[in-house]
Order: sequence, then structure tokens, then C-alpha cells
Amino acid sequence: MSTSSPTADKDAISAKVGARGALYQAERILRSMRAYGGVILFSSTFQPIMYILAMGLGLGALIGATDDFVEYGAESYLMYIAPAILASTVAMSAGIEFTFPVMAGFRWRREYYAAQATAITPGQIALGHIMAASVRFLVHSVIFLAVLFIFGVLSSPLAWLQLFTAVLGALAIGLPIMAYISTLREEKGHAALIQRFVIMPLFLFSGTFYPLSNLPVFMHPIGWLSPIWHTNELGRVLAFGQPTSGLMIGVHLTYLVGIVVVSYVFIRRTYIRRLGYEEWGGRTPGAKRAARKQQALETKEAAQAAWQGDAPQPTVRSGLFSNMYSGNIRAVFQRGIMAIRNSTGLIFVSGFLEPVLFLASFGLGISPMLEGGVEAADGTISYAAFIAPALLAVAAMNGAVFDSTWNVFFKLRMTKLYRTMMATSLGPLDVAVGEILLALFRGALYALGFLVILTGAGLVSPAAALLMWITALFIALGFACVGMAATSFMKRFQQMDWMMMVLIPMFLFSATLFPISVYPAGVQAVIQALPLWHGVELMRDIAFWEFSSLTLVHIGYYLVMILVGGTIATYRMKALFLR
Amino acid sequence: MSTSSALDTSAPADSSAAPAIEATDLVKQYGDFTAVNNISFSVTRGESFGLLGPNGAGKSTTMRMIAAVSSRTSGTMYVSGIDPQAEGPRVRARLGVIPQQDNLDEDLTVRENLIMYGRYFGLPRKYLLAKADELLEFAQLTHKAKARVEDLSGGMKRRLTIARALINEPEILLLDEPTTGLDPQARHVLWDRLFRLKETGTTLVLTTHHMEEAEQLCDRLIVVDHGEIMAEGSPAGLIREHSTREVLELRFGMDRNPEIAAALETELGNREGLGYSHIEVLPDRLLVYADDAEAALEAIHADGRRPMTSLIRRSSLEDVFLRLTGRTLVD
Ligand SMILES: Nc1ncnc2c1ncn2[C@@H]1O[C@H](COP(=O)(O)OP(=O)(O)O)[C@@H](O)[C@H]1O
Ligand SMILES: [Mg+2]
Repeated sequence: MSTSSPTADKDAISAKVGARGALYQAERILRSMRAYGGVILFSSTFQPIMYILAMGLGLGALIGATDDFVEYGAESYLMYIAPAILASTVAMSAGIEFTFPVMAGFRWRREYYAAQATAITPGQIALGHIMAASVRFLVHSVIFLAVLFIFGVLSSPLAWLQLFTAVLGALAIGLPIMAYISTLREEKGHAALIQRFVIMPLFLFSGTFYPLSNLPVFMHPIGWLSPIWHTNELGRVLAFGQPTSGLMIGVHLTYLVGIVVVSYVFIRRTYIRRLGYEEWGGRTPGAKRAARKQQALETKEAAQAAWQGDAPQPTVRSGLFSNMYSGNIRAVFQRGIMAIRNSTGLIFVSGFLEPVLFLASFGLGISPMLEGGVEAADGTISYAAFIAPALLAVAAMNGAVFDSTWNVFFKLRMTKLYRTMMATSLGPLDVAVGEILLALFRGALYALGFLVILTGAGLVSPAAALLMWITALFIALGFACVGMAATSFMKRFQQMDWMMMVLIPMFLFSATLFPISVYPAGVQAVIQALPLWHGVELMRDIAFWEFSSLTLVHIGYYLVMILVGGTIATYRMKALFLR
Repeated sequence: MSTSSALDTSAPADSSAAPAIEATDLVKQYGDFTAVNNISFSVTRGESFGLLGPNGAGKSTTMRMIAAVSSRTSGTMYVSGIDPQAEGPRVRARLGVIPQQDNLDEDLTVRENLIMYGRYFGLPRKYLLAKADELLEFAQLTHKAKARVEDLSGGMKRRLTIARALINEPEILLLDEPTTGLDPQARHVLWDRLFRLKETGTTLVLTTHHMEEAEQLCDRLIVVDHGEIMAEGSPAGLIREHSTREVLELRFGMDRNPEIAAALETELGNREGLGYSHIEVLPDRLLVYADDAEAALEAIHADGRRPMTSLIRRSSLEDVFLRLTGRTLVD
């Protein structure tokens, strides 16, 4: 029987998929990425420009002397860090591409199981995922290199080969993560743990913003372990011909390729176990510990006396705002605590780690390049003392914005938690205030951890630390109110990504890592209009115990944020929670 | 913070005497699209009231307006005498809501789901510990108390959602397609639980496109389509009014149905004593409506027609719906 239908010959189909299945899988993932095409293109264009302007020019101006980098073959600080920023930003996006999409494939959207039902094999599903991610890294690298070329910081004709080292480096950091994530039955903050305990340290101690040799000797092994360091070094050879022995180039390449190959073997095996005949469900780390905790809790409950008397009535208020607020914020807060208790405690406790790592990396790594320290009002201070208070403000912002935007949106759209809450006598205002309190509670713990370390290191006085702790909450409240108001206008996940994209430039242009004076007056005015700069300066005023009328301006700025954000959020509360 | 309506003098009506639900000229528009078009109904206390209609009829939209989570475009509505749009928390305090899709809290265990939900109503924790165990028993989930929500089967999740909606001992239970997607056993367990609730005086309002469910559970129902009420009454009354006692289902093989239907229409119409009403043509079969379907079948055979299969059954709400809209319920 002859027919032209492509579905007629089933064996031909299976042979074709056998040869090209991974490509089909890659195509599927790339097409779904297209929804985020705008975000991806923008971030890979905008990010390099931001980093070049902020770090290369800003930090470069602080560091000053250019001849320090001549021995590495670079003409300027900017030229020295450019290839490393390329490698690092591509590697950082690997931390995303190999965590959440993998969980979505196995669990959230179960996309892998749709593919599993076709002629595609589990190994092809894994390979297709890796191929799609590699294409994304390649696009990112091409754009980044083009920007670097325009800024004239590539002096070697071999610079374009960084396309391949950057993708290789991203795979070397991403595939081990994928190998781990793909064994998990469910994601209970493991991605955040990896971000904090693996990607961040490997990024910050990989000689991106300064030569690895600037760090104390005992920290060098972190760099040697980090695929990002190896990629950085290869990138510097290719970009401006950093003098490097052939042996070292061989070591870098072997290390990166080795990690990629070994991880791939593990990934393939896991995918075959989970999507093949074995139907393995994945591991649930910490399940036993959770069960023990649950048991202990129940024993405690059993010891309590039983309820006496009539069935109680639900809490409702009458009078002003009774349609919005039922006076039961506590329940929303308690639910958050209960969820935290059920999750990996490490995530919660480790939240303060990020600013500590930044402080260690920049404090130790940049200081050797500065003569003396940073000019402050009365003489010079150490670089670590200069950035420490600013990092606290940045951490307060990041936490509050994340909790009031991404977290709220996730509960709204993915877990539908708010829909559950809104079926009860809770009002939208109870939910909003409860969530903000939860964010502040978390922020307070993180800030406390960071401040204990700062005080211990002698970077701030105990009195200042106490005031800074309260200020951190004040700053967090400002960002949380604005974030909640902004989230009420968001409809799709892509819009959320745009919102998060605002944070990176805000951090880079906040005078956190260098004084605002390095910039021309026009740029200074822009920075001074942004909220984070006010937070950073407010923290510094307290840390250095030097107050002026500007201090009041900073405080006023946040009061306005709280008032305006809070008013809009309240006004939009129904639009937000009763969708 | 006051805990009941007793202190509230501005309330529109005494909530315990008012009908459970009173909706008048209810309209809901999404942009240009009218999802609910001018419907009115009232539900008395203790009644079991159904909204029957195909997908997209506007059932869930109506339920969300009752549940004080969606605003209406126009019309009035009172739930226990209170306007849900003006006093959401007060209305929701009286309701138990079972949404079309389970939205259990995956971060909590089965038992914690119940307790936390009760906390949202502001109920004391001590009370909830015992109440949760009682509800777990009711939902036959005691052995799963410590399990994570995602380890439950579909039927268990549905039962947990129902148990959760009972934590505040609601006056009115809103069930949006409570058994869609469940296997027959799970469905019968659920129906049994709902019967028990009905016996204790809880008002049930449920939507379904499952006619057997409507016949089993509802004292009274409205048939909705395109956001409008097509008919209202008890299941038996509706069948009596809009259909014949029996139905004869015939299959003649593909493509022949319309022409045979036209022929049968005249043949059967001329016979006496069949109680013949009309014929519906479905893609795969013909439905002959007659009070005496057995006699109708004999008449067809006598005329020399040989259907591939034939089936005689009693009329159902499905037939009522077909009569009123010319479509089957499922889509
Ligand atoms: N939030 C919304 N925005 C726009 N249209 C909606 C929305 N919710 C429901 N609809 C539309 O209203 C109609 C009725 O929906 P629904 O009440 O869910 O129907 P049912 O529950 O009877 O299946 C459908 O056509 C649906 O697409
Ligand atoms: Mg519905």
C-alpha cells in the first residue's frame, strides 16, 4: 500500500527518532524558551553593558593604576575582567537552566513524561535538554562578545574562541548540578541551596574580579576547584593573550571536559532509571528527619489538654475595612512558619551566607589592589568596612523584593495558596500583611547573622549594629511594599523576570562596591534617584556614625516608599488576591 | 476583634432566618464576554441544590460569586442574608468551599492541611487538633494523616478537600464538580459522605455535568447553558416535564442516521399508543423518545428495519438537557 502520510510507516518513524530524538527534544525546549526570548535577549545584551560600566569602569576607577594588569597582558582593569565576566554570567545562567527546567520536566509540568510516551529514549531526553541549554549559552556568549568587541576590550584575534570555552565552562558548572537535581523526587529549596553553597562561592572565589593570587593562600583551592576559574583563565588567554604555559592550558581544558563527561554519564544513568522501565521516583533527602520532627510534634500535641466546650466561631470583624481585613494575620504568618519547619532548615539559616561571601571575596580580593583604603569623611577606611554596611542594605533589598514579588506570584499562580486562603474568612489584607511580616521575620534573622559576623570582625560597633539591624528591616519594608504593589500589576511569569532584572543594575549602580564619586555628575544623579543608593548610604551613615541632613533624606525616601507602595498595594489588594 | 455577627447591628438581615442563597438578575461579564447572563435563583436552608450544565456554562463563575471571591457585574446576591461582595470575610466564614480543582497546601502534611485551614478561620488550635482527627475519620484518611499531600491518590485528595471545607462546620457547602475525574468507587464514597452532611442539615450547592450525580444528590436543580437558566425543578419533575418515560437508543452505522431518522419520524408519528414524542440525532446513534419504547422497537422491526444495536432505558436528565439545548451535557 503506498501512501504519502508521514505516519504510515511506523518503523521508519522509530528509526528516524532513534537517530534524531535528542534534536526533537532540544527543539521542544528551545521553543518553550521562546516565551522568554525577550528576557533572554535583553539580559544577555544588557548584562554585559551593565557589568562593563559598573565593574570595569567604576571599580576600575577606584583601583586606578593600569600597569598592575600589564603582567597579565591586559591594558586595563576592564580588559582584565571582561573575559571572566563573560564566563561567569554564562555559568550563572547554567545554574538556572539545569535546575528549574529539570524539576519542571520530572515533576512540575511532567514534560519529560510526555516525551517518554513517544519514540524518544530517556538518554535522548537528557541530551536534548543539554543541547537546548547549550544553544542558549551560545547565544548569550555571541551577544556578550559583540558588546565586548564594541567596547574594544578584546585584543587577540583568537577572542571569538571564547564562545566555546564559555559554553564549556557553563556545562562544567551546570551538568554536575543537573546530575544532582535530576535524582530528586521534589525540589524543596535544593536549588536555592546549590545557589548559595555551590554556585555563589565558586563564582566569588574564582578570580573573576581580581587575580586568584590576591586571595589568601588557603582560599586558592576553591578557585582551583571552580570550573569558573578554569574558564576565566582560558578566556584571558584567548581575549588578550595572558601568558600561560601550554601545560596549564591543558590542565584547564582537561578539567572542564572531564567534569562534563563524568557528569553526563551520571545524568544519562539517572534519566534512564527515572524514565525507563525501572520507573524510579527519585530521592527525597531529609524525609526521615522530617518524619522524626513530625513525630516529636505530635507527642507534644498529645500531651495538651483536649478542647472543652462548644465549637468556636470563625474570626470575623465588623466595621471599617471588614471586607478586606478579618483580624487574623497570625494564621497567615503561622502557615509560613509551618512551611519553613517542613522544609530544609539549612535553607532558612543559610540566607545570610550570600552577603558574607561577597564581603569575603571583595574585601580580601580587591583590597590588595587599593593603595590604603577608601576615602571617607574623616580619613580612609578599609575596603571591607566600606562595603560591609552596603552589602547589608543590598541583602535587605534582595530578600524583601524576592519575597514580595516572586514568592507572592508563585503562590498566586503555581501553588494557588492564596486561592485557598481566600476561600476562608481571611481578608486580602490579612494575607498581604501576614506575608510581609513573614518576609521581615526572615530578613531580620538574616540581617542578625550578618551583623554578628560584622561585629565579630570589628567592622562595626555593637551600638551601630543594633541600629543597622532595625534599619535593615526598615529598608526591607520599603522594598516589600513597593514589590507587593508592583506584583499586583503582573500577569505573566515573564513580567516577573523583567522585574527581577531591575535588581542587578540597581545593585551594580548603588555605590556598594565603590564610592559614587568615581562617576561623572550625570550618572551620579541617576544613581541618587534609585532607592538602593539611599539604603546603602543610610547604612553607611550609621556604621560610620556620621549623620547629616542627608540621613533624613534617606529615611524620608523609604518612608515615601512605604507609604506610596503600601497605599497602592492596599488599593490593589483585591486585584492581587481575588483573581 | 468580634467573633460573630451578633455584635453587628448594621448587617442587612438576621443571617439565621434568611434563605441560604438568594440571587437576582445575576450577571458576570469578562470584558465583552458574558459568562453569566441574568440568572435568578434561591436556595432554602437544608436544601440540596444543583447547577447542571455543560463545560463553559458559567457554573464555576456563579459559584465563585457566591463564595465571595469574584465580583458580579450586576444583580444582587445574598448569602445567609449577607452581600458577599460587601462583606467577604463574613460570608466566607459561613461557607465550606470545594473548588473544581483541588488546591491543597503541598508544603504541609495531610493533617496540617486541616489544622492550618481552620487557623485561617481563626479557630483555636486546641479545638482544631481534635476536629482534624474527627474529619480525617470522616474522610477515611486517618491512616494518611502524616502523609504528604502529593502522595495521595486523586480520590483521597478530593476527600481531603471536602474534609478541609468542613473544618468551620459551614452552614452552606459549595461543591464545584465534586466527583469529576474520580473512579466509580471513589464517587460512591463521596456521595455517601455528602448524604450524611445533608442529613445533618447542611445546605449543599453543587455543580455538575454528571446527570447521575444530579439525580442522586439534588432536591432541586437549575439547568444552565451559555450563562442562562434553561429549566428549573426537581430531577423527576424535569424529566416528566421535558422528556418521555423511556428512550430507545438505536445504531444504524455511520452516515445513515439522519435519513433513517426522517423516515422513522413519519412512521412512528402515525402510530397510536406508543406515546411517541420525537427523535434526536446524535453523531453515533438515534434517540427515539416514547413512553413505551418496547412497542416502538417492535414497530420499527415490523417495518423491516434492522438496527445494528438497540437499547431501551429510562429517561434521564441528559435527555432533558438534550431536548432543551440540542446538545449532550459533556460538551
Ligand atoms: N477569569 C476569566 N476570564 C475570562 N473568561 C472567563 C474567566 N473565567 C471563566 N471564563 C469564561 O466564562 C465561561 C464560563 O466558565 P465557567 O464558569 O468556568 O464554566 P463551567 O464551570 O460551567 O464549566 C467560560 O467560557 C470561560 O472561558
Ligand atoms: Mg467549572
